[in-house]
Amino acid sequence: MATCSECKKFFPLEEDRKRGDCVQRVIDPRQAYYQAKPVTADKDAAKCPSFEKR
Amino acid sequence: MAATAETVKELEKKQEWWWAAEKKRSRRLDYLRKAMWKKGAIGGLYPAGLQIDLERPVMQTEKAKELESSADPYVIKFAKMLAHVLDNKTIFITDRSQLVGYLGSAPNMITWDPTLAAILNHEVFNDPDSLPQPLDESLKVIRDVTNYWGGKSDLDKILPHMDLGDVMKVLSGAIGWGVPLGRGGYSGKDYEYIMTGVRAFEDIIEELDRRIDEADARSHRFDASREISDLIDKINNWEAMKITLEAGIRHARRYARLARIIAENFESDAVRREELVRVAETCERVPAKPPRTLQESLQYDLFIQLFSRNEAIEGAWPARPDFYHGPYYERDVNIRKTLTREEALDLVGEFLIRAAEVSQYKPKWAREGLQGIEGTWVWTLGGVKKDGSDACNGMTIALLQAARLVRVANPTFAFRWHPKVSDEVMRECFECIRQGLGYPSMRNDPVLVANAMHWHGHPIEEARLWVHQACMSPSPATKHGFQPMRMANATANCAKIIEYVFTSGYDHVVNLQIGAETPPVETLETYEQFFDAWVTQMKTIFTILVRPVNRARILAPKLTPRPFLSAVSERSVESGLDVLEPSISRGNAWITAFTWVENIDSLAAVKKLVFEEKKYTMAELKEALLNNWEGREEMRLDFVRNAPKWGNDDDYVDSIMLDCLKAASEFSHEIKCPSGNNWPILPENVSGNIHYANIVGALPNGRRLGDALYDGGISPGPGLDKKGPTAVLKSCSKIDHVTNGRAFLLNQRLSPTQLSGEKGYQLWKTYMKTWADLGIDHVQFNCVSDETLRSAQRDPEKYQEVIVRVAGYSAHFVDISRKTQDNIIQRTVQGL
Repeated sequence: MATCSECKKFFPLEEDRKRGDCVQRVIDPRQAYYQAKPVTADKDAAKCPSFEKR
Repeated sequence: MAATAETVKELEKKQEWWWAAEKKRSRRLDYLRKAMWKKGAIGGLYPAGLQIDLERPVMQTEKAKELESSADPYVIKFAKMLAHVLDNKTIFITDRSQLVGYLGSAPNMITWDPTLAAILNHEVFNDPDSLPQPLDESLKVIRDVTNYWGGKSDLDKILPHMDLGDVMKVLSGAIGWGVPLGRGGYSGKDYEYIMTGVRAFEDIIEELDRRIDEADARSHRFDASREISDLIDKINNWEAMKITLEAGIRHARRYARLARIIAENFESDAVRREELVRVAETCERVPAKPPRTLQESLQYDLFIQLFSRNEAIEGAWPARPDFYHGPYYERDVNIRKTLTREEALDLVGEFLIRAAEVSQYKPKWAREGLQGIEGTWVWTLGGVKKDGSDACNGMTIALLQAARLVRVANPTFAFRWHPKVSDEVMRECFECIRQGLGYPSMRNDPVLVANAMHWHGHPIEEARLWVHQACMSPSPATKHGFQPMRMANATANCAKIIEYVFTSGYDHVVNLQIGAETPPVETLETYEQFFDAWVTQMKTIFTILVRPVNRARILAPKLTPRPFLSAVSERSVESGLDVLEPSISRGNAWITAFTWVENIDSLAAVKKLVFEEKKYTMAELKEALLNNWEGREEMRLDFVRNAPKWGNDDDYVDSIMLDCLKAASEFSHEIKCPSGNNWPILPENVSGNIHYANIVGALPNGRRLGDALYDGGISPGPGLDKKGPTAVLKSCSKIDHVTNGRAFLLNQRLSPTQLSGEKGYQLWKTYMKTWADLGIDHVQFNCVSDETLRSAQRDPEKYQEVIVRVAGYSAHFVDISRKTQDNIIQRTVQGL
């Protein structure tokens, strides 16, 4: 089972590597930005459409 | 931007200010301005592309469920819910931006707070055009969230403690709007506590810890009293405040981390990498510690505003950005020279954009009443310092210049004019007006300082620190002076006063007895009796609107607390009481008087045509009004054309205005807010004149049901001020702008051709001198030609950026309804 920790977009917290942020590039019709959403390292990423193997 | 000076000049000559601005602003500002998602509703509906954000309501609901079995008191549970959102919501950093923070999980998202009112949640459910796809999944989420909060929302909690008769009349939508909620309305802030650079969140946390320890020790001594018992509530409040401040610091640091991740992993441009590191350093510094630079100061302010809006729906943005950010601008630009003027302008322009994109889901009536904008972000500029000296600074000018570059409709500015304002600053104000922004509105500072002292007893040093709490009303940003919540339902649709005189208080539009049962109008034999009936209806309507606000304010500290706003308010940090507690506030309430002048013109028409000339009987008039003037067009035109109208320096009708204001202001001293202070009236409209068009029946000024009402405040009816701008000012000057009410909105249209060049400035300056000498407290201008506005109606795509002054706010012309557009075009263009 793929987990978030195996993804290129996962950036673990220094103080607790079991938690981190999923950081993604988004381009909407008006602007481009980077977004971050808190996730846990062991979260199941099997169905994540933006999963990219590290 | 690489634009030739010639091109810009040409565009300016053609008065195509929006295209000229596009060419004059920096590449960064141009990108950020175009990147912005406009949030203002059009015709009550959100523009295409915007979506209701479901992330936050799901988080709030999850946390609320988790806390159900907790022994925490509500205020702490609420603080934990807020912290949970700040710790977990999706954050983002837009390319080229230097300031960060947004309420939603993406730039096009409108946040929805399900904890406020079940009726709001049902509106979300029935707003499928704004829901994320797939619709079925969104509806399922909304159903779960809405079901959970049914019976638990703030409104559900306070309603059993209210007079339901009053509430029903308010919610009928006929005489006012809004709901009485402590977390919904216009929130003032204690800027003197939080924005002077003396302290920031860590300092307050230290203070809270000390107070908690002291109270805890005291409450466990060999002692028992009411005071000791109350310490439990205070400790809980302090704990809740601390939770929100700590969450705020963590939230900022999430942005710092994201900025560093982008800089270290994704960004290839060295200059942008440096910017991102600066963003990270800024968010590591503020709001934990006081700002040191302009960027930190702006970011600090932005965080405070966003945290406060995470806690409540705030329909206004009281602020004084030049006063509080000015010292940092001065230090960075003029003393240390760490920023060039252009770099500072980039930051200031971006600050306006960040504010412009803030959005919270609001009910449809609010969207209709605030066409084209999200809320009334009226920022206060200029004015005086505590000691009475001129407060204008480099930041005042930077804000006025940045506004012309980014041309957002919201925030707008209101400028506190006083006799010591420099010519340089006045020219900057004029440029904004001439370039069609519709702002700044001009406020007469000496008059309004005196007014604040008269109505609410603010000491002069505090009165001098006033900011606009919403469109118009001044409120000092001080410990006891600021008002933490002004609930919008103390907003009177005043045209109903005269309407109810003819119906004995029965509202034929909503089929409800709302007003007083005054005698049948045809039995009134004299004008004096008729006027007495008007006074009775006025008192009845004002009372119905004010009572629920008072009640909700008394209930608020326990049922709908605001721990974050308390945490940034000296009086709450000091006392341990919630910021909404009336006993620690001096009080600064006001009744917004929409559709006021219709009363004056109607009373004048009845006095002249019915009582004096006896051309018509009262029974005839009553019947004509009940039938919406049908079959009586000639009679209607008589009431339009042959009765005196306000705004023409005609003592006949102007004296009626004074009689009405005298009656209202006397009553304002009788009704009290829970802090024991007065409820003065404040005539103004937002888009209320259009919103109420189908709610107000036919009136004796010749208006039919469905016709737009006047544009508000003490502005004459559109096209009815026929004797020129000086006559308008003279009529307005007969009002005592200190003692007759809290403030009086005056719209004027000026000709852009006449205002061109140096001659235009001198003409305007002379006009402003007359205005100031006459002691009028407010004036705002539309300065866009009929030709441009009509072209924009024909070809809206080409005129997307044309801005107009609607009432106490500006909006993009294409974003307001056709009826409002026509109403603005109908306003008299005054030749100076």
